[in-house]
Amino acid sequence: MSNNYFNTLPLREQLEQLAKCRFMSMDEFSEGVEALKGKKMVVIGCGAQGLNQGLNLRDSGLDVSYALREAAIAEKRQSWKNATENGFVVGTYEELIPTADVVLNLTPDKQHTSVVNAVMPLMKEGSCLSYSHGFNIVEEGMQIRDDITVIMVAPKCPGSEVRAEYVRGFGVPTLIAVHEDNDPKGEGLALAKAYAVGTGGHKAGVLMSSFIAEVKSDLMGEQTILCGMLQTGSILCFDKMVEKGIDAGYASKLIQYGWETITEALKYGGVTNMLDRLSNPAKIKAFDLSEELKVIMRPLYNKHQDDIINGTFSRVMMEDWANDDKNLLGWRAETAETNFEKTPAGDVEISEQEFFDNGILMVAMVKAGVELAFETMTAAGIIAESAYYESLHETPLIANTIARKKLYEMNATISDTAEYGCYLYNHACLPLLGDFMKNIDTDVIGKGLDLADNGVDNARLIEVNAALRAHPVEAVGAELRAHMADMKKIV
Amino acid sequence: MNNIVIENYTAEFGESFTLRDINWIIEPNQHWVITGTNGSGKSALSAILAGAGEKLSGSISGLPERVELVSFEAQAELIDRELKKDDTDIMDVISEGTPVREILEEGKADNPDFDADLLEELIKKFKLESMLERSFRKLSTGETRKIMLIRALVNKPGLVILDEPFDGLDVDSMTMLNELLQSQIDTVPMVLVLNRFDEMPDFITHVAYTDKGQLHHTVDIKDEQAYNDLYQLLHLKTTNLEVPETDDSDRPPALNPEDPLVKLTDIKVAYGDSKVLDGESWVIEPRQHWQLSGPNGSGKTCLLNLITGDHPQCYTNDIFVFGMQRGNGETIWQIKQYIGYVSTALQWEYRVSISVRNVIISGFHDSIGMYTKSSDRQKKVADQWLKLLGMEDRADQPYNQLSFGDQRLLLIARAMVKHPTLLILDEPCLGLDDINRQLVLALIEKICNSSDTTVIYVNHHAEDQISGIKQFKQLEKLA
Ligand SMILES: NC(=O)c1ccc[n+]([C@@H]2O[C@H](COP(=O)([O-])OP(=O)(O)OC[C@H]3O[C@@H](n4cnc5c(N)ncnc54)[C@H](OP(=O)(O)O)[C@@H]3O)[C@@H](O)[C@H]2O)c1
Ligand SMILES: [Mg+2]
Repeated sequence: MSNNYFNTLPLREQLEQLAKCRFMSMDEFSEGVEALKGKKMVVIGCGAQGLNQGLNLRDSGLDVSYALREAAIAEKRQSWKNATENGFVVGTYEELIPTADVVLNLTPDKQHTSVVNAVMPLMKEGSCLSYSHGFNIVEEGMQIRDDITVIMVAPKCPGSEVRAEYVRGFGVPTLIAVHEDNDPKGEGLALAKAYAVGTGGHKAGVLMSSFIAEVKSDLMGEQTILCGMLQTGSILCFDKMVEKGIDAGYASKLIQYGWETITEALKYGGVTNMLDRLSNPAKIKAFDLSEELKVIMRPLYNKHQDDIINGTFSRVMMEDWANDDKNLLGWRAETAETNFEKTPAGDVEISEQEFFDNGILMVAMVKAGVELAFETMTAAGIIAESAYYESLHETPLIANTIARKKLYEMNATISDTAEYGCYLYNHACLPLLGDFMKNIDTDVIGKGLDLADNGVDNARLIEVNAALRAHPVEAVGAELRAHMADMKKIV
Repeated sequence: MNNIVIENYTAEFGESFTLRDINWIIEPNQHWVITGTNGSGKSALSAILAGAGEKLSGSISGLPERVELVSFEAQAELIDRELKKDDTDIMDVISEGTPVREILEEGKADNPDFDADLLEELIKKFKLESMLERSFRKLSTGETRKIMLIRALVNKPGLVILDEPFDGLDVDSMTMLNELLQSQIDTVPMVLVLNRFDEMPDFITHVAYTDKGQLHHTVDIKDEQAYNDLYQLLHLKTTNLEVPETDDSDRPPALNPEDPLVKLTDIKVAYGDSKVLDGESWVIEPRQHWQLSGPNGSGKTCLLNLITGDHPQCYTNDIFVFGMQRGNGETIWQIKQYIGYVSTALQWEYRVSISVRNVIISGFHDSIGMYTKSSDRQKKVADQWLKLLGMEDRADQPYNQLSFGDQRLLLIARAMVKHPTLLILDEPCLGLDDINRQLVLALIEKICNSSDTTVIYVNHHAEDQISGIKQFKQLEKLA
């Protein structure tokens, strides 16, 4: 069985690794892709990341080919089609790995141990192995041969975005790291930087971080606010509306598309902008609800973070892997049986503003979840920039998936790791919010506030506005969004 | 069926456009064309019949229950919806997009009038059988358009609105579409938005002319005098065209004048088993302008994308561009710096929030959107272009609020702004009205006669010819 790498480190180093995160400046990339020029890059796996990173790297003048497992080649699977239709050289591990200067492991995380065990003996002396997510190194304690340099280049966006932004002449925010135990020639950082340039990431902002900080923050974000909170919120809000006599089709639509609409506001202007979309009385209501939610849910966020940090989460999940995914598959089946899932969105028109006005509780849940995830991560020693990407930045992406596919399909398409964590969160959070939900009525979910006038107490409004803007996720968010935006302001 | 009556109708479209005081009656058995300059409100006028716009005053009565609208915007929206089927950061699968058949049958589930027989008939007539399982978003412009049209008709609407139905279609497809519409004229009234008078089908009975958000004239085709006057109005020519200078400070490395700009040898491109290009070769010498034509799906765009580096199979073919043999460590940005490019696909991909002026400036950077600071010199050049296009007062407005035709004009200016070594214009006049089409053709002619730019011009319309172009390349659809 695997050995949790993080847990082998002394506390001093654990803290140091968790706190590793620095926003790099553009002139640190002045060498461009030089460090990788003329080197042979071999990608394992040609899925969402593998294909799109490879296309970018090749368009940046680098030598890219694909090593696929034999079955994928023999059966001409999608990954084989992806690579060949795009004009790449494809070969088996035996054919390509021994020639590689850099091996890019872009297979699903669950497969990393077997994939790395298969390719490592074939790798050249002194070559480099790269990851886009550090689970294998950090949680499974994968030991890589001493002569091999180990780096991580992790785009903080879907593979399709990685490509689309590059083609526009830009890139997506990217996190890079060097596994210090495996940097025999001290060239890890130079390689990671060149790789980030090759994918276009340097234009949108690069965080210099560590394997540990990446894994512990990524897991936390995906299981709490990103997937867990939206799943729990969907179920609770739907059942409440139906209980209060709101048309089920309407309720289903309000939720399915509501997350997407309200988090679109989040994406552009943070939590503040999302709440600014509400009327003044509704804003105060959402604020109060979210404060209440934060008090109730904080212990749960802490527990998730603690279990992630001390390795309980990955251990339990890997036990399920070894047990043929029994829990995972069972929980997935349960999701298909929820009332929200079974009720199709009604054929009713809901205007953009109505999603806000009638979804005050949803706004409050997003706010509470984003802030709690961010606060919990930073309290655990993760730096604000990292915590931002893993919470607020990615929430609209999952909301978009729910709009397209609802919960069951959302869960089936996210990584198994995210899905497992999502169910853990959901099972704990549903009962936790039981009492809270008893006091909820249609004024905050389904119908909107019923007010004769929009008057509010000035002093209270000022207080709420100030509190919203003062939250630390807002400051770091404003700064990072400026790097990602179209830079309208500087022109 | 009864009359559709629009009375004193005023409606807002976003913040920047208002249709004012519309009075209009459409009788059963009438078929209308709406025309006018880009930005005059002709699409908006058609769209209010489909429920678009925010009504401020007035009334519409007699609208049938089901109205189908096919337009650039609707097409772009559908494409956009398909593109959004992305996967998120923590996902495991890449989406292949919706197959064409599913798009065609989308109405089936909740429309009792959905005509499955008609669908099969049209699939046969338009020879779409081989396309049904392909991903909708991977179709060419012309193919996408056909699918949209058929999708509208099989829903058996009580009114069909077709906004520029012929744009992007080759001659054969246009003829076929005309026949198709002709065959439906007794079943449904039609309103067509058209920029080009010469495309007006024979069955049209009335013309509406819009200007600055108002419905100025309605003309019965049988009234010859009125009809000719309207034609004249649309042919008002712009005079005194001057191509603005460029910003020379950022020129790409000079090329060896002995080399061809482009040399494609024995090009082969296939998707699965279907071949798109098979053994095509093409040499483009400096200052040799070309016209490239061929039916929809004959691989024109594919061939151009091999030159620009946007087609992934440029790495597996023998391609020499701007002194570089492809696949030897060059970057696509090194290639793009020599190229200016306009196409419908570019317009769909240009989906970023950006100001009108910066769209033009982005041409200096070969980017979609602006990610670096622009120089004062570049701003000045951009402003000259805006003046030429009559858009100087809109420099700071958001690009995505412009009409499709105006967006197209800007993208043409973006392509020309750096006086590129090679200017590729893939059906540049799609979506432009007569006046702006003349403007663009005149600009291209000027560029062709200038010393340093070589032009590749792709076009279906035989009458849009450029005097400086002497070389013609014709592609055929492979079986
Ligand atoms: N998706 C994202 O947005 C994202 C973002 C940042 C980082 N990442 C990271 O990027 C990595 C790849 O993720 P992904 O989403 O791109 O995965 P993916 O789309 O599921 O693609 C995985 C590829 O690996 C191949 N594969 C699967 N099992 C394999 C095995 N046992 N041996 C060899 N090849 C195998 C698959 O092809 P065949 O089954 O045909 O062999 C497929 O082409 C992961 O570490 C992930 O955490 C992903
Ligand atoms: Mg993540």
